[in-house]
Amino acid sequence: MPISDVQPRQQSERPPLLEFKGVDTYYGELHVLKGVNYRVGTGEIVCLLGGNASGKSTTMKTILGIVKPKNGTVSYAGETINNLPTAERVKRGIAPVPEARRLFPRMSVRENLEMGAFIRNDKAEIESDMDRVFELFPRVKERLRQTAGTLSGGEQQMVAMARALMARPSLLCMDEPSMGLSPLYVEQVFDLIQAINKQGTTIFMVEQNANMALSIASYGYVLQTGEVVLHGSAQSLRDNEMIQQAYLGEMKKQ
Amino acid sequence: MDFFDVLLQQIINGVSLGAMYALLALGFTMVYGIIELINFAHFNVFMVGSFVGLWVFQAMGFSGQEQVLYGLPLIGILLVGLTVTMLATGFLGVAIERIALRPLRGVSGTAPMITTIGVSYILFNMVLLTIGANTLNYANPLPKVSWDIGQATLRLREVLLWAVSLVLMLGLHYFVRHTKMGKAMQATAQDQEAARMMGVDVDRVVVLAFFLGSALAGAAGMIFGLYYNYTSFIIGYTAGLRAFTAAVLGGIGNIPGAMLGGVLIGLIESLGGQYLEVRWTDVIIFSILVLVLVFRPTGLFGRAAPSKS
Amino acid sequence: MSTSPLEQARRGVLPAFWDRVRSEEWRRGVALVLVLAACAFPLIDHNEGDLDAAANATAFATLALGLNIVVGFAGLLDLGYAAFFAIGAYTYGIFSSYQIQPEWSSFWEPFQWLGFVSRLHVDGVPIDHAHFQVSFWLMLPVSALVAAFFGIAFGAPTLRLKGDYLAIVTLGFGEIVPIVARNTPYLTNGAQGLNGALPPHLFGYNFGVQSTPFYYLGVALVVFLIFVSVRLKDSRIGRAWLAIREDEIAAEAMGVNRTKLKLLAFAVGAGFAGMTGTFYVAKLQTATPEMFTFPVSVMLLVMIVLGGMGSVAGVVVGALLLQLLQSWFLQDISEWIHWLGRTTGIGFLEKVDLVQAIELIFGIILVVMMLYRRQGLIPERRAVTALTLAQQTAVPSRSGLKGELKPLHRKAVDPKLPLLEIRGLAKAFGGIQAVKSLDLTVMPGSIVAVIGPNGSGKTTFFNLVTGLTRPDGGKVTLAGEDITGLGPHIVVEKGIARTFQNLRLFPNMTLMENVLVGTHTRTGTGALGAVIRPPSVRHEEAAARERVLEVLTIFGNRLMPRREHLARTLSYANRRRLEIARAVITEPMLLLLDEPTAGMNPTETLELSDQIRGLRDRGITILLIEHKLNVVNEIADKVIVLDHGEKIAEGSPEEVHRNEEVLRAYLGRTATAAVRAAAAS
Repeated sequence: MPISDVQPRQQSERPPLLEFKGVDTYYGELHVLKGVNYRVGTGEIVCLLGGNASGKSTTMKTILGIVKPKNGTVSYAGETINNLPTAERVKRGIAPVPEARRLFPRMSVRENLEMGAFIRNDKAEIESDMDRVFELFPRVKERLRQTAGTLSGGEQQMVAMARALMARPSLLCMDEPSMGLSPLYVEQVFDLIQAINKQGTTIFMVEQNANMALSIASYGYVLQTGEVVLHGSAQSLRDNEMIQQAYLGEMKKQ
Repeated sequence: MDFFDVLLQQIINGVSLGAMYALLALGFTMVYGIIELINFAHFNVFMVGSFVGLWVFQAMGFSGQEQVLYGLPLIGILLVGLTVTMLATGFLGVAIERIALRPLRGVSGTAPMITTIGVSYILFNMVLLTIGANTLNYANPLPKVSWDIGQATLRLREVLLWAVSLVLMLGLHYFVRHTKMGKAMQATAQDQEAARMMGVDVDRVVVLAFFLGSALAGAAGMIFGLYYNYTSFIIGYTAGLRAFTAAVLGGIGNIPGAMLGGVLIGLIESLGGQYLEVRWTDVIIFSILVLVLVFRPTGLFGRAAPSKS
Repeated sequence: MSTSPLEQARRGVLPAFWDRVRSEEWRRGVALVLVLAACAFPLIDHNEGDLDAAANATAFATLALGLNIVVGFAGLLDLGYAAFFAIGAYTYGIFSSYQIQPEWSSFWEPFQWLGFVSRLHVDGVPIDHAHFQVSFWLMLPVSALVAAFFGIAFGAPTLRLKGDYLAIVTLGFGEIVPIVARNTPYLTNGAQGLNGALPPHLFGYNFGVQSTPFYYLGVALVVFLIFVSVRLKDSRIGRAWLAIREDEIAAEAMGVNRTKLKLLAFAVGAGFAGMTGTFYVAKLQTATPEMFTFPVSVMLLVMIVLGGMGSVAGVVVGALLLQLLQSWFLQDISEWIHWLGRTTGIGFLEKVDLVQAIELIFGIILVVMMLYRRQGLIPERRAVTALTLAQQTAVPSRSGLKGELKPLHRKAVDPKLPLLEIRGLAKAFGGIQAVKSLDLTVMPGSIVAVIGPNGSGKTTFFNLVTGLTRPDGGKVTLAGEDITGLGPHIVVEKGIARTFQNLRLFPNMTLMENVLVGTHTRTGTGALGAVIRPPSVRHEEAAARERVLEVLTIFGNRLMPRREHLARTLSYANRRRLEIARAVITEPMLLLLDEPTAGMNPTETLELSDQIRGLRDRGITILLIEHKLNVVNEIADKVIVLDHGEKIAEGSPEEVHRNEEVLRAYLGRTATAAVRAAAAS
């Protein structure tokens, strides 16, 4: 099967929520992302797959504004956000679930959740969002007073996701949600991601665990040393044997 | 006076000193907690604060020991003095951060610390050159009220010092633990990048930390002047060493630790001065500093070791 | 490439001009002129005050040179350096003044015979006393040694501390010394200071209180210590110090014994100060605690910050500038400002006294220099200009000296036995088990690849083998010898070298110097040898340089033409190559490469794969972490797959490729039927 669009996208008429066009990023001299294009439609779950050092983390950092692209455009809800500071992006509705969670270790779970809503001022709404979050994550409610640093990896992941939801984001950016989690938690986390998406949040997920990611996503991109070597609907990618090669770093872009 | 009376008196003195050192250590440790910078200039901001307090009192018509106030007017002028002093030193701290430290944000190594040594020198010498080396008399509007506990004396000024310090420390504690900005500061200290990802403006947080820390230093300076009835250009150095050690002892970056460390150092100073010789106090304090840093750098109450190498 | 003739001419001429200016001969010429000028100075200016100030200035120049060794070379910020100045001063003072006068007894007679002690008889006092009068010339090295000893004593507690904390501890020691001096009157006469310290005598001529002989002596000391500094800097020891300053972890991983070298830096720096202390006290004939307080340490810091940390010429210039500014010029500048004040009517200007404001000026200098010119007036390193075509293709000339590098004690390698054996290696960080009971064997002459997804423990594994991290359990055996838990620099000696995933070069050192650091374990020149430079040392240095050139040629023309460039100017791919060169020169039996082709394009990757194979053909066994599986397929004899800290597969590249466990590890827990089906078809 030829590379690139394996199956036409269902929602290609709708304007994308997040779009990368020809983005190049550098880390010093190192060319990390090489002319990448992504398109995340509103309401979709899109996953970015790839092996070690493929540029997945840099993609996430570029979305958040921690890394600025040298060429190309990053646009969100139609607006070019290349040079927008991180705080502004969060205000516009992008919320991150960082790699390795990055909870505030010496603050309680509740305080972590409150930090998620930092940019918001509507007290009543924040409270109701917190209730909504408790419904999704009953575990989190149980551990409200506990110091975040003492939670297990899986529990921390839940709190991190809940924290991001407290910003009432339109776009949830998840960086390797399954990293370091036991298989039991991995299943739970992916179920939760689906639930969140059903409630209306668009999800862009960077993930190493291709199988889990593709089981819930609608579309996927595969990165290898900074280039998109494969993309298509999740269905087509699941059936594609070449994803194995791309993953293991043997893909030659055609 | 028998042994216990002497001991009690020294404990009273020690806790009073300690409260002052704690205030001074607090501001210092707060800044370190957020940007991992040892700010030498902090202790001369304290010294400047004491002079500002002196001028405020003079401007209100108080100098020397003649006038004594009671009750509300007393509280009134103390509040005015405190507010003006804290605002002045707070803004001084912000200016220092903006001019001398922000351009070096991100520079690794000891360059930022060296810069604070330079700023410290500038403050110290500007005061020395303009005001001179004389000690100046502080106003003393406090009535000479005191209570006797056995043969030890507890004066009003001690109570006042404790009260003011406690209020300020509790205020800071409340701010950091229960307000939005305060929690943003905690978050920034614990994980700067994650805080940024929550939308926190890290620059603002740093400025706020400098403002609050320097304001506390100024308050400590004014309290020093009221307590000892004098001030001079050198007090930053002597008190600074103690407060610095207090911060390190309590665990640099640890706010409750700074408070406890302050009291401990105060006690060590007064008890040491009484039972050993005063001239060895400096050596003892320096030795504590060295020993803690070498054997237990996270301090008594510790916090994660700094990431900066 | 089309460039105008003007461009070409400019590129060709300008670099050449600057290179000539900074060349050795030019520098020597300038130095000679300066020394002659310094010697001629007293003949021109007969003002006793000027000469006195100049003599004092030389003392601070030597102090700055000493501090430069600790701060500038080794990167250890010492804020209490004046303590060593004090120790040297009081050591001389005690042995040459009237301070300590023990009662006379026959014990003192041999010393009297040697001339160190004289018998004091005072009318009316029944017992005679001994008066110390040890010769200044003898005390110069002795007090240097005493100070050096204290340098080691004060430096030892700071060895594990990071920059800021190290500064604070040294500040602490720096403060304790003058306080002790003030409070032990028996030894030091307390705050009043020692009196009657003996001035030097040279062939019967007493220096007395005249400035001129002290001036010449001071100049001689400065020249001597400049000589020592320069010799040290450009030697095995100096390079090791710079490596520690740049990246002490990498330095240790290249064989540098951090502890020994840091203590050496403290000792040498303190020794300089000790010598200066003796000189200063002999000149002033007194020593008081006030001469050695924190402001003195800060002033020295300002001098080297102003002049240029790490630059020998720079710190001397900084010291002389600040000292002479204070003694010669400040008064005049003040008066000039007063005049300005009078003419413009600005009252403040009329009254300002710069001499008093000198510490304010120091503070301003510190802030301004840190903000705008951190490298100082005379930076330690120059920026390198572009290469001319001629320079790119030039062949380095041989020095003509023949030398051999020290052969390292290596166990004989039996090709039938494993070179590296790992049994039950384990390491946990916090609650996370990074490596879980790993077993591994590497045969000599093979290339073994370690692969696995993110976070599988590969780099931790390397760190455990090379001693960067201590294992919680397990055993590492190299050629039959147990090397578990040994420190990194010892592991290098035993025969394992490595590169780093995130590159740990010494950015402000040249390529040549970076690789030379790798020869640290194969050379043995110490500080003394570095200064004296007997033929054996020169031969060793030449041999090391030849070896570097040999190793650089492994990478063809990539690194050779740039060998005098700073490492931080290199392209990413070249930096990776440089790290490998630096590791190879340690003559390892086993070379650990951590993602060597990261960031390289396919062509460069292919080139490096060939070069790695070449290294194996030279006899080096290779263990490499790689995620580009085409590289692994090409060159690896055996592949080991890690996941979550455990080995989940081992075998030839083809075997591993087909292994389902491996696929599952990479692609995710739930192996899909599709993948299995695809593999089966």
